[in-house]
Amino acid sequence: MMRISLSSLAIGLAVLALMLALPAIANQGVVFFAAVTYIYIVFAFSWNLMFGYTGMASFGHGAFFAIGAYCGGVLVMKLPELHFLLVLLLAGFLGLAVGLVVGFVVRKSSGVYFAILTIALAQLVFLFVSSSSYLGRDDGYSGIMPPVVNLGVGKLDLSNGNNYYYFILGITILTTAALWRLVHGPIGRRLRSIQQDSQRAEFLGVNVAGYRILSFSLAGMVAAIMGALYAPYLRIATPEFAYFVFSAQPVLYTMLGGMHSFWGPAVGGIIFGMLTYLTRTLSGFSEIITGFTLLVVVLALPTGILGIRSLLKHARRSGERGKTQ
Amino acid sequence: MSNFFWADLGTTLFNSAVLSMSVFIFASGLALILGILKILNFAHGALFAVGAYLVYSIVEWMGGAADLMQLVAAVAVSGLVLAGIGLAADTVIFRRIRDIDYHYSLIATYALLLFTEGLIKVIWGVDFKSVASPPEVEGSLIAGGVVMPWLSVFAVATGVLTFIGLEYMLNRTNLGKLMQSVAVDPWMSNALGINVPRIYTLIVVVSFALAGVAGGLLAPTTALTPGMGIGLSLYAFGALVVGGMGNIRGTFLASIALCTLDTFASSYLDLTPGIAFFLAIALILTMRPTGLTRGVGL
Repeated sequence: MMRISLSSLAIGLAVLALMLALPAIANQGVVFFAAVTYIYIVFAFSWNLMFGYTGMASFGHGAFFAIGAYCGGVLVMKLPELHFLLVLLLAGFLGLAVGLVVGFVVRKSSGVYFAILTIALAQLVFLFVSSSSYLGRDDGYSGIMPPVVNLGVGKLDLSNGNNYYYFILGITILTTAALWRLVHGPIGRRLRSIQQDSQRAEFLGVNVAGYRILSFSLAGMVAAIMGALYAPYLRIATPEFAYFVFSAQPVLYTMLGGMHSFWGPAVGGIIFGMLTYLTRTLSGFSEIITGFTLLVVVLALPTGILGIRSLLKHARRSGERGKTQ
Repeated sequence: MSNFFWADLGTTLFNSAVLSMSVFIFASGLALILGILKILNFAHGALFAVGAYLVYSIVEWMGGAADLMQLVAAVAVSGLVLAGIGLAADTVIFRRIRDIDYHYSLIATYALLLFTEGLIKVIWGVDFKSVASPPEVEGSLIAGGVVMPWLSVFAVATGVLTFIGLEYMLNRTNLGKLMQSVAVDPWMSNALGINVPRIYTLIVVVSFALAGVAGGLLAPTTALTPGMGIGLSLYAFGALVVGGMGNIRGTFLASIALCTLDTFASSYLDLTPGIAFFLAIALILTMRPTGLTRGVGL
């Protein structure tokens, strides 16, 4: 049984209340930015499923986001009567299917080879979508209209007011809950054993290659769902999603927040999001600040911001031990 | 008809040579850091761009139209400036990421890439810039119906010269042999009295300088943008993996093989440039998850 401490419950409720109240207290720009950040954070959670839990650092995860974004965009435009939740699910299954194939290809690769292999595969997706005239070539698939979602009790027009914001909030919370269950269950423990020592895990009977494929394809599925959720919000799906630079976004969030904690990417995403928002008008400075922050984190705090807590705890504990002896 | 065929084939071969040598010039600096420090430097593309922009600024400062000698001088200056930056980067970054998990070193160099790109945007702006090609290399060499711009011939020649120079340095000089021994076994080299940290610093400096020289030399052939090095660096990563992780000879051959394949596929099969290249890498890495060669040494 998982114990949830009172303080984390309080933090969770406070964050939830703030997210629900945001459209009432902040301007449209901030609300839009917040919704985008939620999507990016779940995208980063899915990346950390591979990295923090299974020990695979993909530098091409954006390809799955792009697959989902294009799939979602095309389905919303060509089959408007299709339920949007079904569109998200279909995009997710496409991501899962591609993830299974790619996962099979990369299952034995590691280190720099894995990094370059994932870059090469993502680049193939990038070249494919940016040269397909059906998908709008370099300009992207544009003019995607936010759909109307039939919720059973009534219809929710996502192009109205803050409806899309709340829809994104709902979907990202649901996906996060599913991921949380996954990594705190038996599968999560097996994945973690691979991250810590894949040889020993293999020796203890864990099907390492199989779980690597599973982790890779589930991460692809979540990323694709986020892409499909994102494209109608932005009203465009562009090849940039599959580009190397976009794929580094989740890496950034995770490293900044801490890879060993489930919530690390969220903390990193919020800090990174605020940095980007505050520096958005200064061309160039945002990269300088981001790059600098990331460098300081990697060189000085390789466990991320949430890692500081465990470092402090560790220091305090060894301090106490010192006193009693 | 057969005349067209041969001219077409000649043009495709020439284009392959131009692409291969551009990729190789770019990849050579990366190969040194990867082969000896075992670090894949994501920032190399941004350093390449800095080299190009420096040459742009020097040429502008000299009055806007440089002849070949002035361009070469500007390239040399940009190489020197990058060497200085390399020394600083080694002290601040590379020295600290040598012995940590490779994930962190990848991420650290990625951070350096972002930082450098931002710096370029702040200093030079985001608009396209261009460096005029020197009057000596304007026009084209026409042989057997194949039109070869002198500037491209110059780029190919530079690539071959870079290869010969590096091969000579690594295999025929004392320093090169020291570098090779450090690449194979740093611990043993240290035990035998080689100053390993100094070799590491030297490698970073030389690699940065090569990035500056490459960017400067290729500057007249492309438009300058802050992200200009990213495309080439993706190609170079591929050539490095297939060529054996820092093996200069392997990287040279892999650049030629992959770029020729890609150029032929795009001109005869009408594929988007890059598709054949990355497909080949994915196939090779699927069948041989650790590349084609053993990957030790240069």
